[in-house]
Amino acid sequence: MSYAFHVVNLVGIYAILALSLNIVSGFAGLLSLSQAAFYGIGAYSVALATLHAGLPVSLAILAAMLATAAVAALVGAASTRFRRDYFVIATFAFQVLTFSLFNNLVAITGGPNGISGIVQPRILGHTLTSSRAFSGPILALAFSTFLVSTWIENSQFGRILRAVREDEPFARSLGISVSLFKVSAFAISGALAALAGGLYATYITYIDPTSFTFAESLSVLTMVIVGGLGNSCGAVIGALLFTLAPELLRAIGIAGGTAANIRQVVFGMCLVVVVFLRPAGLFREKLARRKVQSNGI
Amino acid sequence: MLLWQLSVNGLLAASVYALVAVGFGLIYRTTRFFNFAHGAVFTLGAYLAHLLYRVAGLPVGLSITASIVGCALLGVLMEVGVYRPLRRAKASELALLLASVGMFTVFQNVISAVFGDSTMALRVVAFTGVVELLGARVTVLQLITALVAFILCLIVTIVLWRTRIGNAVLAVGADPYLAECCGIDSNAVTLQVFFFGSALAAIAGILVAIDTDITPLMGYAAMLNAVVAVIIGGTRNPLGWLIGAIILGVAQHVGVWKVGSHWQDTIAFSLLLIFMLVRPNGIMASPEMRE
Repeated sequence: MSYAFHVVNLVGIYAILALSLNIVSGFAGLLSLSQAAFYGIGAYSVALATLHAGLPVSLAILAAMLATAAVAALVGAASTRFRRDYFVIATFAFQVLTFSLFNNLVAITGGPNGISGIVQPRILGHTLTSSRAFSGPILALAFSTFLVSTWIENSQFGRILRAVREDEPFARSLGISVSLFKVSAFAISGALAALAGGLYATYITYIDPTSFTFAESLSVLTMVIVGGLGNSCGAVIGALLFTLAPELLRAIGIAGGTAANIRQVVFGMCLVVVVFLRPAGLFREKLARRKVQSNGI
Repeated sequence: MLLWQLSVNGLLAASVYALVAVGFGLIYRTTRFFNFAHGAVFTLGAYLAHLLYRVAGLPVGLSITASIVGCALLGVLMEVGVYRPLRRAKASELALLLASVGMFTVFQNVISAVFGDSTMALRVVAFTGVVELLGARVTVLQLITALVAFILCLIVTIVLWRTRIGNAVLAVGADPYLAECCGIDSNAVTLQVFFFGSALAAIAGILVAIDTDITPLMGYAAMLNAVVAVIIGGTRNPLGWLIGAIILGVAQHVGVWKVGSHWQDTIAFSLLLIFMLVRPNGIMASPEMRE
């Protein structure tokens, strides 16, 4: 039974991560390959804040979200200066750099050995330890993230992001500060990715750099693209599909290194197939809800 | 003295980076998208040669040639099967980039699943000699690798700038439709670029395999270095890719002096970010500007 709860928790964490990336890549149309870096910064911040600064888990996660939002805003400010494919390369560079820092700053991050014994949260006097106990808070936070995401989707902020995505010069001509909106999207996205990272760290109680690689960033991007860029439901369903698929492999008896390879092959193939056959993803973005009224002549 | 030795090591590494970067850059210059699958072709070159030589027992020369041709054909296959239909469907360069990243992931993981993650060696030649270059010690094998790589890079540069085929490639890279109007078959030119670019990646992979060893992740590192070399050198100019590769190789190896060799990725990507922010067009300007 605890295995089922474990899978549920992973789905929740990946749903948060996919929703966070969807804000930058879906609404703002900036394909980013650095989400695992923000996820990792969040996870490491929570691990360090609870172990060394002695913060309670909830405060540590809040602090990590703020810190990661600041980093993400900086990355956004630097990378959104570039045109389309150079932007992808800039985020890719940030991803590789962050991973190499996780791996090399041994004094802080423990290097390849990672950090173990991360503190678990206490809620109402009980320390959460089992997968089952975690599933409630994780699902609640995933649902809240979904609400935030749908709120952004339907808000003025989300509409402006999409306007910038569709026609940047036009948006600028309306007096929209394009870079401010892009940087804000990055900051919100970074904060939510840090939430996912913090939950992961305190749930698994052990982190090492291999959870925050380029392949992980690509997996999250694949979830969002297959689910449907710009559609919050799509991001959640993408996360659900791609978290359950590897567990199916386990069910049919393939495990270990080969399973990890097959998982990546499936991700890669889905990416190619979706780009080919259904560039909008499984669930298209909902646009133009309100009909424009025509007043006749 | 140590500094000189490290610089020479950097130059030797740069020769292979340059070979990958020239193929990668040619494809970028012609089709305007970053073909990440290039890294997978590099890995496949090494593994295919290994498979033919060690497992199938073919002669060295035949194994290497077959592997290079096989990889070149794979490049052509990717262009015909994936990139061209995508371009025809008016897909953006980002869609092509994503498709290439997807294919890179597929190939790398298939190789890793088939051959396993452990390192293998393709020791086809037994050159064990060491020569001294002004006091820096270099193995004969490294020297041959570097010479082969640099000569191939120079040949590509000369062909690109001084021959009809090269001009056709430049024309397609500038504007495929206008090139068609001048009687150039854009599709055929792009195919040739994929054929030769992929062959160069395979050669680089085999050179690395002969000199050091083979792992499924080798293509990822090669691709990282190619991206960095092409961008810091300037995406439009083959000499720039060569210079970018040399700067990268020397910076990485001289960096070893102060920090460990595990900082190489950090050095490479810090260099990339600095260049992107300070000099986004790279070191060398576009040759068309002179023409």
